[in-house]
Amino acid sequence: MTSWLRRPWWVGVAIIAMGSVWLYGASTLSQSSSISGVGPGIFVTLIGVALIVCGVVLVFQMSRSVDDLAAPAEEGAGKTPFQAVPFVTALVAVASPMLLMTSVGFPLTAALIFAAVTHAFGSRRILFDLAVGAVLSSTSWFVFRWLGVELGSFLPLLRL
Amino acid sequence: MTSTFANLMGGFETALLPFNLLMALVGTLLGTAIGVLPGIGPALTIALLLPVTFQLAPETAFIMFAGILYGAMYGGSTTSILLNTPGESSSIVTAIEGNRMARNGRGAAALATAAIGSFVAGTIGTVLLTFLAPAFAELAFTFGPTEYFALMVLAFTTISAVMGTSRTRGFTSLLLGLALCVIGIDSQTGAQRMTFGSPNLLDGIPFTIVLVSLFAIGEMLYIVAHTKPSAPSLNPLSGGLWMRKSDWQRSWRPWLRGTVIGFPIGILPAGGSEVPTFLSYALEKKLAGTPSEFGNGAIEGVAGPEAANNAATAGVLVPLLTLGLPTSATTAVLLSALQGYGLQPGPLLFVNNATLVWSIIASLFIGNLMLLVLNLPLAGIWVRLLLIPRPYLYAGITTFSLVGVWGVSGSVFDLRIMLAAGLAGYFMRVYDFPVAPLLVGMILGPLAEQHLRRSLAISQGDPSILISSPISAVLLALAALVILSPLVLKVVARKTQKTAVEVVATSVNPK
Repeated sequence: MTSWLRRPWWVGVAIIAMGSVWLYGASTLSQSSSISGVGPGIFVTLIGVALIVCGVVLVFQMSRSVDDLAAPAEEGAGKTPFQAVPFVTALVAVASPMLLMTSVGFPLTAALIFAAVTHAFGSRRILFDLAVGAVLSSTSWFVFRWLGVELGSFLPLLRL
Repeated sequence: MTSTFANLMGGFETALLPFNLLMALVGTLLGTAIGVLPGIGPALTIALLLPVTFQLAPETAFIMFAGILYGAMYGGSTTSILLNTPGESSSIVTAIEGNRMARNGRGAAALATAAIGSFVAGTIGTVLLTFLAPAFAELAFTFGPTEYFALMVLAFTTISAVMGTSRTRGFTSLLLGLALCVIGIDSQTGAQRMTFGSPNLLDGIPFTIVLVSLFAIGEMLYIVAHTKPSAPSLNPLSGGLWMRKSDWQRSWRPWLRGTVIGFPIGILPAGGSEVPTFLSYALEKKLAGTPSEFGNGAIEGVAGPEAANNAATAGVLVPLLTLGLPTSATTAVLLSALQGYGLQPGPLLFVNNATLVWSIIASLFIGNLMLLVLNLPLAGIWVRLLLIPRPYLYAGITTFSLVGVWGVSGSVFDLRIMLAAGLAGYFMRVYDFPVAPLLVGMILGPLAEQHLRRSLAISQGDPSILISSPISAVLLALAALVILSPLVLKVVARKTQKTAVEVVATSVNPK
């Protein structure tokens, strides 16, 4: 495993960066108010400072190996090294609704995600998985609509 | 006492309405199912149900949520015992002895002591909740903004310190939640905070979307990237369904001890339901007549922890209902649900929404009974849920998460938050950052800020007001103790070690 994964000091750096952004944001806000004594910026400032402090501590702590610190996987499942292809496939599946949802609608988008996630988990029955996903997502669309949850048009491209 | 009893009877009147009974049944069934299944817990389930339940009356919705809460505890123990697969973190301890009992052909007795112990502890816990909650609510009436702020600081520090493997990770998680909660329009001044010029951020980051993404998407990404699932192997339910006389004799004391441990720890900020199970197991091991049996299927090691986790589940509702203080991820989402109905938990909830509070408490009694009746005979069926192939289980959870996110507002921006929070959830899982402090920070942050600013407004900016009342001073001192105690202990230990080394060195090389 590469050293930046075994010694993830960069997590601390990311927290410091986030704290700095919050501190910068706080600097654009009023820290005091004539009515309440404190302004809208004070809480943001406190959070920014605390994030930076935690980030610095994390950089030191995580410079040491945390390989064994990762939470155990579900029982009965063997823990394996990072598997890039399934991870990226699942990640693309989760990202795809941002592009697809408004144009192809919930049922089709959810069916595609369903098939992509099953593929990431090792299933190779693409057509079957797509069909299962389509049945599940279409049923969800009708049932949730009946329950009062609006999931958009069924097929926006066909104006359905 | 009389008014409490009368209120409880009023609660039963509402909870026993046919539709509410049906929803209690749906909740217990759903709760047991998600307790059995990995990758989905009560917090995520309730969050996913929120868009649907907002169409229902709050009493009905919360009666269902109460069923989910208790049902998850029962379901978690079933898979712990029969498969050595804890569905919930509070059932991890149960697996140690319970699964060993199942392997010895005593799975049925283990399931029975877990179910009856859960029923006994859940019922005693609910009785304690019934009588303690109004007293807590009365006490909370004396709290002003400074006391509330101090209480929240204590909750923040204890939750961050107890959960996860390191305090720094716990506090970082809490701060991430607090950082997210300040995004949007400041409710007191109308100023835009941390919106980066985006109109989408003016309303803030939706809590339920973050929760769903952290739990469901983060977990799915973790499992797909780091595990290779193997087929579950079921242990046979042999040895008869009922407990022997000796099993009863060995179980009843652990049930009661588990209740005594679980309920008060549940009440404490950061108590949750995991810590008491470990304490109960350790106590039973210490008190056992034959400690060597522990590790080989001691029934006390199942009875005690199972009672403890159900008693703690009743306990966590005390600070939630009386003070509006969530002490776990599940109670954080329950608080979010109450806020969604325009209700703010706290002492006034007992006055203004007495029907809701008492019907929730009454439904806990009903749900417990339903679960006992449902779970003992149906354990074999529940466990078969685990035969759902992992690809379909996680694809299904992802699909329902999409319903939960898209169904809230139909906003593409929310889908972006889902991706970002899902990735954050993955990294938090990999590097062992607990999720609960983030959620508690996010839901409780605005209230903490409100109380802080109110306190400072009263004192015209003088921060000494925060320690001006004895209650707030004690609460803040406790919070400081939680943060500083490990540092102090470390320094003391180092000094002691140094002195010991010097003493040894002097005795070895006398001048």
